Amino acid sequence: MILLPRGNPVKENVNPGKVNLPDALDKLRQGKFTGYLRFDFSEGTGIFIFQAGRLISSLFETGRENLIAYDAIARTFHEALKGDGRLDIYRLSPELAFSIHALLHGEMLHRGQDLQLIDIRSLLTRMRDEQRSGCLRIYSQNHIALIFYRDGKPLGFFHDGSTDIETTADTSMSVAREAGAKVDVLITRGDVEKSLADLMETANIAGLWNKSVGERQRQREEQENAASRTLEMREGERRQKTLALFQKTAQQHLGKIGVSLVDKEFDRLKLNGVSLGEAQLTGFYDNLTKAAKLVAGPSKIELMLDEMKKGARSLLKGP
Amino acid sequence: MEQFHLVLAVFWLIAGGVAFYFSIGNARVWTSIAVGFFLILLGEIIPGALPILPGLDNPYILAMGHIIGTIAILVMSHGFQEYYVFTRTLDFEGSKLFVYLSVAGVIIASLVFLLINPAPGPEVRRVIRIVENTNWVFLSLINIDLIRKIYLNVKDTPISKGFIAFMVVFACIFLWKGSQLYIDVYDLENKKDLINYTISYFTNLGGNLLASISVGATFIYLAKLLR
Repeated sequence: MILLPRGNPVKENVNPGKVNLPDALDKLRQGKFTGYLRFDFSEGTGIFIFQAGRLISSLFETGRENLIAYDAIARTFHEALKGDGRLDIYRLSPELAFSIHALLHGEMLHRGQDLQLIDIRSLLTRMRDEQRSGCLRIYSQNHIALIFYRDGKPLGFFHDGSTDIETTADTSMSVAREAGAKVDVLITRGDVEKSLADLMETANIAGLWNKSVGERQRQREEQENAASRTLEMREGERRQKTLALFQKTAQQHLGKIGVSLVDKEFDRLKLNGVSLGEAQLTGFYDNLTKAAKLVAGPSKIELMLDEMKKGARSLLKGP
Repeated sequence: MEQFHLVLAVFWLIAGGVAFYFSIGNARVWTSIAVGFFLILLGEIIPGALPILPGLDNPYILAMGHIIGTIAILVMSHGFQEYYVFTRTLDFEGSKLFVYLSVAGVIIASLVFLLINPAPGPEVRRVIRIVENTNWVFLSLINIDLIRKIYLNVKDTPISKGFIAFMVVFACIFLWKGSQLYIDVYDLENKKDLINYTISYFTNLGGNLLASISVGATFIYLAKLLR
């Protein structure tokens, strides 16, 4: 689970499977958007960070692995096309957007430290003394607050609903005081800001998208084929069971030749892709009656057909 | 003896009536068989079962009786062949009307054939009767074997025992028609003092009586089985 402040919402709770993502990204680029896109899927979370229309960072995190850059974009596209994800877009200031990047890609110095067991003030002092750049992420069950540092100096505070770095620590400190609050310490080394390339410029976004669309299409076809095969197998099973029932009933009433008559008339059933149902058996019953008249009387045939219809009804009433 | 012939006529009337009724009310494949047995009635009564009937001395009527008898065994043999084919392939075709019309057509054609030729005298009628009885004798034997095969194919169906009854019917017919053929071939009508004639004569009468009874009984039994 990636813990991030929500920022200023631009769009929330959008199904990314219904969006042409390359087009959407291009629009954000054209609009010089600054902020981030958060994709939540059952398989993981994807984050795309924009700074003044440049896609400066992407991350896809699952419980087992973290993908970055093109791999993250491709995986996000792949998951989005499954159609059961959620997309939220938040606007941020340019500086904060970069700080989010630092937060996501920084080195984890401490993880999940219980704030009841740690002296937050001495931790802040240490950040200052060691001239660290990075982020303290303070979170409780319901709230999250971030304190960004650069070279030991606090850049500001960020919390749920804020669009920019704030100068007061009130909210952050109030989160720290909540029951069960924890802190992560992430640091960045060197000046990476200048080295960030625009991923939309260096990556073939449309190509990645098309590849994902192709894969998804292939998967869907495979699923459909598998479903079709399952359906065919089930249908075959239903036919076999029905035939076996008819053969047994015919054997009881007409003997060996009755079984042969059932086999013959069952073979002649023309289903044309329709699954076997009572309606399709009407012709079978008629033909069997006609043929059975040569070896048995109407009362015996009627008795046999009644048993067959009763058995078939219970066999075929399923989907 | 006239009374015996009267009894025979009554039995054949019953047998023929039952057979014809059976042909109407049952599956198409029974039509040829039942119509064949019904034709025995016509073939038997016309030539001699009822001497009181008018036209007994008419050579055309007498000859026609033998021809209808021949058609009877051919039609019913065809019916049993159809039934056997059905038990092997489960296929059957045709319509009852077609069977009735075909039989009627063959009878009419035979009558026309007789009418456009000289009147059939006793010698011609004897030849026609030999032809008729030869057909009956050999086709009875063939039919017994065919019915045995049909029985084996349908022995666990409700109708199966009916085919055993048909085997008995053809055994009776074999005795009836075989003895008549023997009398005709050896011209025993003119050697009545021979024991061969006496045996053949009574075998003929007995076979005829048993055949008429067994035909009627078999169709009644079949009707019961096919209820």
